[in-house]
Amino acid sequence: MLTAEQAADLVEAIALRQDRAAFAALFRHYAPRIKSFVMRGGSDSEAAQEVAQEAMIMVWRKAASFDRQRASVATWIYTIARNKRIDQRRRTGRPAIETEDWLTVFAPADEEADTSVLAGETYQRMKELMDSLPSDQQVVLRKAFFEDKAHTAIAEELKLPLGTVKSRIRSALGKLRQALEEKGDET
Amino acid sequence: MLDYAAGTLADGPALAVALHLAFDPAARHVANGLAALGGILIESENAADVDTLALETVLGRLDGVSVDPLPKSPPPHPDFDWAPAALRPYLGPVTRWKRRLGGFEEIELDLRDDVHRVSLLRLEPGNGLPMHRHMGNEYTVVLRGGYTDRTGNYVVGDFAMGPGVEEHQPIADPGESCIALIVEEKPIVLTGRWGRWLNPLVRRGWL
Repeated sequence: MLTAEQAADLVEAIALRQDRAAFAALFRHYAPRIKSFVMRGGSDSEAAQEVAQEAMIMVWRKAASFDRQRASVATWIYTIARNKRIDQRRRTGRPAIETEDWLTVFAPADEEADTSVLAGETYQRMKELMDSLPSDQQVVLRKAFFEDKAHTAIAEELKLPLGTVKSRIRSALGKLRQALEEKGDET
Repeated sequence: MLDYAAGTLADGPALAVALHLAFDPAARHVANGLAALGGILIESENAADVDTLALETVLGRLDGVSVDPLPKSPPPHPDFDWAPAALRPYLGPVTRWKRRLGGFEEIELDLRDDVHRVSLLRLEPGNGLPMHRHMGNEYTVVLRGGYTDRTGNYVVGDFAMGPGVEEHQPIADPGESCIALIVEEKPIVLTGRWGRWLNPLVRRGWL
């Protein structure tokens, strides 16, 4: 296992001294997970592995823009993997928004950055919240958000009425948002 | 917001959300929470089998790939000092306001988005856009000043998403000129005085 702190240290080692051993450790942990994530979107094993490799090369290239104050490594790698998955899907057309553009957007530059709540806290809090959701809500949220499935496709897959899927997603998001907003008020 | 965090929004609407987030810390907090959700899910993912040679292959490829230096965010453009950082990459040294028929100015932004037309509009105080209605989704973010239409008053940072009302005519509030990002899915249809002359759809009786 890799703790959030260890992962952040590894990315910083790449940024500071092009540390290949640090990269290899990140690769061993994340490449298989990215591959699974991409396969959830319907890609075959070979294509998914290609996306995982491309995403990890991007991790190397962009290591200097990682900022542990703004995002956890898992979140940062998720945004990279997600963009690579979109690139792969749009291979025939024009590429999606450049990963680097999106990273700028995701972590608004300097003066607009919000560091009042540290990324690690947000991550930890979201994790607790996610774990506290009823499992039926976790399942639909995962499918809608992570597997990028339409509500109708989820309903079909789970053999549930569309209204039920929608209300579970709404309810799960409502709880996450409420908890985040409460936290925001405290700071 | 969920679509934004999941990365499934087209570039135009994604820019609109990003600009709204630049003005609204609470919304930014929620967006960061949703992005963290992606991280949590990928961390909890079962590890798929990765070809044992994959790491060697990738390490080999890294020989030709250097770690990029920390990107500098483009400095504020002197003519566009109101622009949040997320907008700056689209404002080049030769970007200029263009006067449009109907008493407003426009900068069309070049995004890689085939579905949406993305532009900045500038309205002097008291001036309005021609009466129009929307055929598709529209996203508006106020970047400076404010405007009022029959649905309400919108000020800096406000995010409006519609089709909304059937027909509306936004008027810029007193004070400084109003600048807004407009992302439109389909061309609007002019229905006011100008529309009768400008919009062939009107003449064809499509309304």
